[in-house]
Amino acid sequence: MTSRRALIIGYGSPIRGDDAIGPLAADRLASLKEAGRLPDSVDIQSRHILTAELVEDMQGADLALFLDASADTAPGEVRCRPLTPDATALSTMAHFHDPRELLAWCQALYGKAPEAWLISAGGAEWGYASYQLSATAQAALEPMIGQVLEKIGVTT
Amino acid sequence: MSRTISIEPVTRIEGHARITLQLADTGEVEDAKFHLTQFRGFEKFCEGRPYREMPALTARTCGICPVSHLLASNKACDDLLAVTIPPTAEKLRRIMNLAQLVQSHALSFFHLSSPDLLLGWDSDPARRNIFGVMAQDPQLARNGIRLRQIGQTIIEMLGGKKIHPTWVVPGGVNEALSEDKRSAMLAMLPEGLQIAKDTYAFFKTLVPKFKDEAEHFGTMPTLFLSLVSREGNLEHYDGFLRVKDAQGRIVEDEVPPSDYERIIGEAVEDFSYMKFPYYKPLGYPRGIYRVGPLARLNNADACGTPFADVALAEFRTLQEDSGPVASSFHYHYARLVEIIFALESMQRLLKDPKILDTRVRARARGNRSEGIGVSEAPRGTLMHHYKIDEHGLITWVDLIIATGHNNLAMNRSIRQVADAYVDGNDIKEGMLNRVEAVIRCYDPCLSCASHAFGQMPMVIEVKDAAGQVVKRLARD
Repeated sequence: MTSRRALIIGYGSPIRGDDAIGPLAADRLASLKEAGRLPDSVDIQSRHILTAELVEDMQGADLALFLDASADTAPGEVRCRPLTPDATALSTMAHFHDPRELLAWCQALYGKAPEAWLISAGGAEWGYASYQLSATAQAALEPMIGQVLEKIGVTT
Repeated sequence: MSRTISIEPVTRIEGHARITLQLADTGEVEDAKFHLTQFRGFEKFCEGRPYREMPALTARTCGICPVSHLLASNKACDDLLAVTIPPTAEKLRRIMNLAQLVQSHALSFFHLSSPDLLLGWDSDPARRNIFGVMAQDPQLARNGIRLRQIGQTIIEMLGGKKIHPTWVVPGGVNEALSEDKRSAMLAMLPEGLQIAKDTYAFFKTLVPKFKDEAEHFGTMPTLFLSLVSREGNLEHYDGFLRVKDAQGRIVEDEVPPSDYERIIGEAVEDFSYMKFPYYKPLGYPRGIYRVGPLARLNNADACGTPFADVALAEFRTLQEDSGPVASSFHYHYARLVEIIFALESMQRLLKDPKILDTRVRARARGNRSEGIGVSEAPRGTLMHHYKIDEHGLITWVDLIIATGHNNLAMNRSIRQVADAYVDGNDIKEGMLNRVEAVIRCYDPCLSCASHAFGQMPMVIEVKDAAGQVVKRLARD
């Protein structure tokens, strides 16, 4: 098991179909932690959107994993790609942020940013639904969690 | 030949909007309009839904101030139930509202407006953003993040979630506060209060540099509307509506929120999806008024907490005569006073032994066919008004959103700034940034006032009367 401090943030709208896969994956991981199957050094958060104050949590982490749904990936496909701080990923809106922007905030304010990965799953349905995934996205949930466990060095 | 300048979208606000400036042949500003360009329609699609769904539905109006809608909506539902909620439930709701105010005001001041205040309106737009602030004053940026975190953490501790918590319910709240959570909240507040006091002291040193902006950023005679407590003090959750005029005379007082329709009318214009509320006795548009931190401080007799009262006295000196503080530029100042007030108030509420009382919810069915809930959101007075049928289904909804109240004032303000700063014959980015900046003073939440969707680059175009673009400035 890892002793690195890991921050896992699943984000997305809980009422827009497969966009809920990030928060649902985070909730599933939180259940694993409650059952003692994840180390205490792992912090798990479920979020509607990424907001500025998350930077305070990120600066204390060695590893940050962002779990999100993707509209640009084949439905059901799970991808894992590295993220680096990017100050140009600015949002014109104030109440949500790109993870690369928050990493850049972290770097600028605290002189360090955690190693970061975006683990995304392609969604198929984006209509109104409360925490309900399409069958395709539902099938992607376990592989997504598997990617997270691999990154934090937990074997099941 | 007349020309039009369009600023779209207005940046560093919540949601999307456009500003157009109509220029005369001479290059002088002929007209200025603030457009909310997207439609959302919550009032219509809520019809037919059970009233108990309204708090969750209307909270989805916004990802930045769902707590405000939750509170106003649940107050409207309390009214439908015809119950008085338990005193402890009211105190707990107040704490959540104050925590929301802290995080929202912190976002507005530290992240949305500080690039202008710290770096200047004419600074390089590529650097005039939060990263520019971080480079100039990293501690200020860290303080903003920490204040937001304190506000959001308290919301999460009470509601279970930072965004869209479901803890506030018709009749009260659905879970009492534990001693552990109370201790954890109290432990955070001294740090937050110190940050707020330090920021306030710092900003006071900046204010004299902005004499010109204070003179032209929405400095105009208007009415001021807000809730005040039964004692006439600063109030964010309950109490009565008060209206003061530009000379500081109270023209309406002790107006029950349920009586809002007597004093507030709603007009519409064809250039915006945002409503134009006005003070009925003066008619439209003479009944222009402002809400939010500036109005609340102007209307309150006192804050009622130690340091905030000191700051309120200093706030009043911003106006050279004895009237209310007239410049919308001073919304920034008022926000900092309110952050201090909110942190002091949360400390007081959490230290009350009765805050741990387990009787926190009154249970009833719908006992009235009409319910009205009014509270103060960070941006101003928020009104939810519902009618239901005999099955408890919504038949009619009226939402008057804080940002909407300020619509007339925002339009008047951009005209004033454009008159003062924009030369149509030599358009500079800094001029147009000031036009945007006066809107930021109001910290409008357009997601609430209508709808926000997608992301667009900043584009400013100057068109001639035939619609031909003669000048274009783009901000990617």
